[in-house]
Amino acid sequence: MTAPAQIKVLRVAIIGCGKIADQHVQACRRLAGCQVVGVCDREPLMAQQLAERFGLDACFGDAAEMLRTVKPDVVHITTPPQSHFALGRQCLEAGCHVYLEKPFTVTAAEARELIELAGQRNLRLTAGHNLQFTLEMLAMRRLVAQGYLGGKPVHLESHFSYSLADASYVGPLLGNPRHWVRQLPGQLLHNILSHGIAKLCEFLADDLELVTASAHQSPQLRQLGGGEILDELRVLIRDAGGTTAFFCFSTQLKPGLNRLRICGPANSLTVDHASGSLWRHPNRSCKSYLTYWLPPLHDAREHFRNARLNFFNFLNGRLHQDSGLKELIGRFYESIRQAGPPPIPYREILLTARIMDEIFAQIYPAQAAPTPADGKPSTAPPAP
Amino acid sequence: MNSNQIISSADRVLVTGSNGFIGAKVVERLFEHGLTNIRCFVRPSSKLDRLQRVLTAHPAGKTVELVAGDLLVREDCQRAVAGVSVIYHLAAGIEKSFAGAFMNSALATRNLLDAFREHGKMARFVNVSSFAVYSNLNMARGALLEETCPLEESPQERNDAYCFGKLKQEQLVREYGRKYQVPYVILRPGAVFGPGKRALSGRVGIDTFGFFIHLGGRNQLPLTYVDNCADAIALAGLQPGVDGETFNVVDDDLLTSAEFLSAYKRKVNRFFSVPVPYFIARALCALWEDFSKRRQGQLPPVFNRRRCAAEWKGNRYTNRKLHEQLGWQPHVDMRTALAAFLAQYDTRLP
Repeated sequence: MTAPAQIKVLRVAIIGCGKIADQHVQACRRLAGCQVVGVCDREPLMAQQLAERFGLDACFGDAAEMLRTVKPDVVHITTPPQSHFALGRQCLEAGCHVYLEKPFTVTAAEARELIELAGQRNLRLTAGHNLQFTLEMLAMRRLVAQGYLGGKPVHLESHFSYSLADASYVGPLLGNPRHWVRQLPGQLLHNILSHGIAKLCEFLADDLELVTASAHQSPQLRQLGGGEILDELRVLIRDAGGTTAFFCFSTQLKPGLNRLRICGPANSLTVDHASGSLWRHPNRSCKSYLTYWLPPLHDAREHFRNARLNFFNFLNGRLHQDSGLKELIGRFYESIRQAGPPPIPYREILLTARIMDEIFAQIYPAQAAPTPADGKPSTAPPAP
Repeated sequence: MNSNQIISSADRVLVTGSNGFIGAKVVERLFEHGLTNIRCFVRPSSKLDRLQRVLTAHPAGKTVELVAGDLLVREDCQRAVAGVSVIYHLAAGIEKSFAGAFMNSALATRNLLDAFREHGKMARFVNVSSFAVYSNLNMARGALLEETCPLEESPQERNDAYCFGKLKQEQLVREYGRKYQVPYVILRPGAVFGPGKRALSGRVGIDTFGFFIHLGGRNQLPLTYVDNCADAIALAGLQPGVDGETFNVVDDDLLTSAEFLSAYKRKVNRFFSVPVPYFIARALCALWEDFSKRRQGQLPPVFNRRRCAAEWKGNRYTNRKLHEQLGWQPHVDMRTALAAFLAQYDTRLP
């Protein structure tokens, strides 16, 4: 896309040419002021197929060679998570800003080290938590900033669903015990749940008093031959300020639930990703039987408002399949140009990684993540 | 066993995708050709119902070796092809993404070809491709689509990941034939149908919008009954003198889309369908494609000119080469094949 004259055109490279890389290239093409200058995959044929389909000239099988040759400003790392830390460090050391797909790193210790390195080199990092930048999440953030909740959230609920019916993902994973997803400390959960946890971290304090996780295998996954993989997870979290959070990951909920509920001392909000909606729940009391009539009418009005908004956002082009990814990448690039704060505060990236470490240590104790680099436990032990 | 075959009955053959809709039938046909040293490659997580039914039905089934693995893992490929003379490569992943389709088709095939060169006996590599690789965009309606017709040049524009994967797979096979003298045959089956596959071919129509739109009209369908298709594939690994050849696989006495839909409705369910002529379908697909481009993919380009032509423009098909060079004859005539396909609806969905 052609950039206005005053915008510095960022040279973008992509490492990892699997399924998600297409979305990154497409999002970059929809943004002004950036150009994809190189793609890299350790399987050269994968890099070639991406370059060929998008008409890109430079494709590489070696990251160091690509960094040397095309000298990108920004590198998007879209490889399996096990390589995020090493590649992220390599790119930072080469002087590049780095977008790391989710999960940011395998452990919180790795996340901390990368963030420190980026700080030392005055470079920026972000995590692929694009669901935090969908239109409904942006609208939620505006209302929260206006004080709609009436104070610090009292309780949060995040539901995240994933269907096992997607044979293209689950099939290879189940069929191959050496599949990279199965080598992660949290296996299937590790690769998916950071979206749902990251949404909570925006409203949780760093000091956590409680993280209690419980997981099991669904009958459906058992029937598919899921081995040791867990796919049903419930987590209870409490921070030092008394805000509590519940997280539910499920492969079984039908219809799938992909939602964030934020309960404040005055009012509450629900963000529903499946319908791209934001529902306001004002604290209004109604007399007698009106309580059965007026609140449902209010809810109906909310649904109508969301439908109308989505329709007009579709017409004006704002509602796009990948609007969250484009928004996140756009804000990340802007933070690079303006030397401003990154779109996702590092505090939230680290807190997400710490909570994930703790969850996996509890549900897969045999594969517990190593102790963080500072030697302190990542969260306080569960309350008795 | 026919003595005029490139391998003996004791030579080892490998079938990938052997538990698939066509793969299990290929194994059955190989038994009937007298082969006694068959190795079947399966995914560790696959339910082997189809294959097990074939193996238990044939005395030679007891001798079949099952190898579980992933074609994206080179070591698994090496294990699978050790001592193998002929590979029937039918494995195909179901992938909507281009990268995923490329991995499952091209990378898996590359791994298999490399392993074949290093650990196999390289009598023949039978690559099962698809009609999806053709582009009839610049052909007249009703023109004869044969093996020499143009291949799709822009699968991305057609938004067809499967087509892309199969094109790349074919390219690799030809490249290995040229560079490393891997003897190969490429088969391009049309719309394979039969018991075990209940869905109607997209060439008949679509139900994307909540009702059935009949887009195939009076177009001839490139049908091939699963048993006939499997027989063509089996022959492709055995027949001498066909190295480097490509064959379209369609049956004799092809039906039109209207005939097929009418038979389906009579037997299965008299549902409401809206016939849409090709010129209207083309205009709507062009509108969709242009809108998608103008809005930078806000609507994914699932309907576009190339797909519209490939699926609903309508061609005539020939199996002359299949008859003449492979000596193939359909064992099941079209009337019997259609009856067998429709008979599966007598039993309720599992």
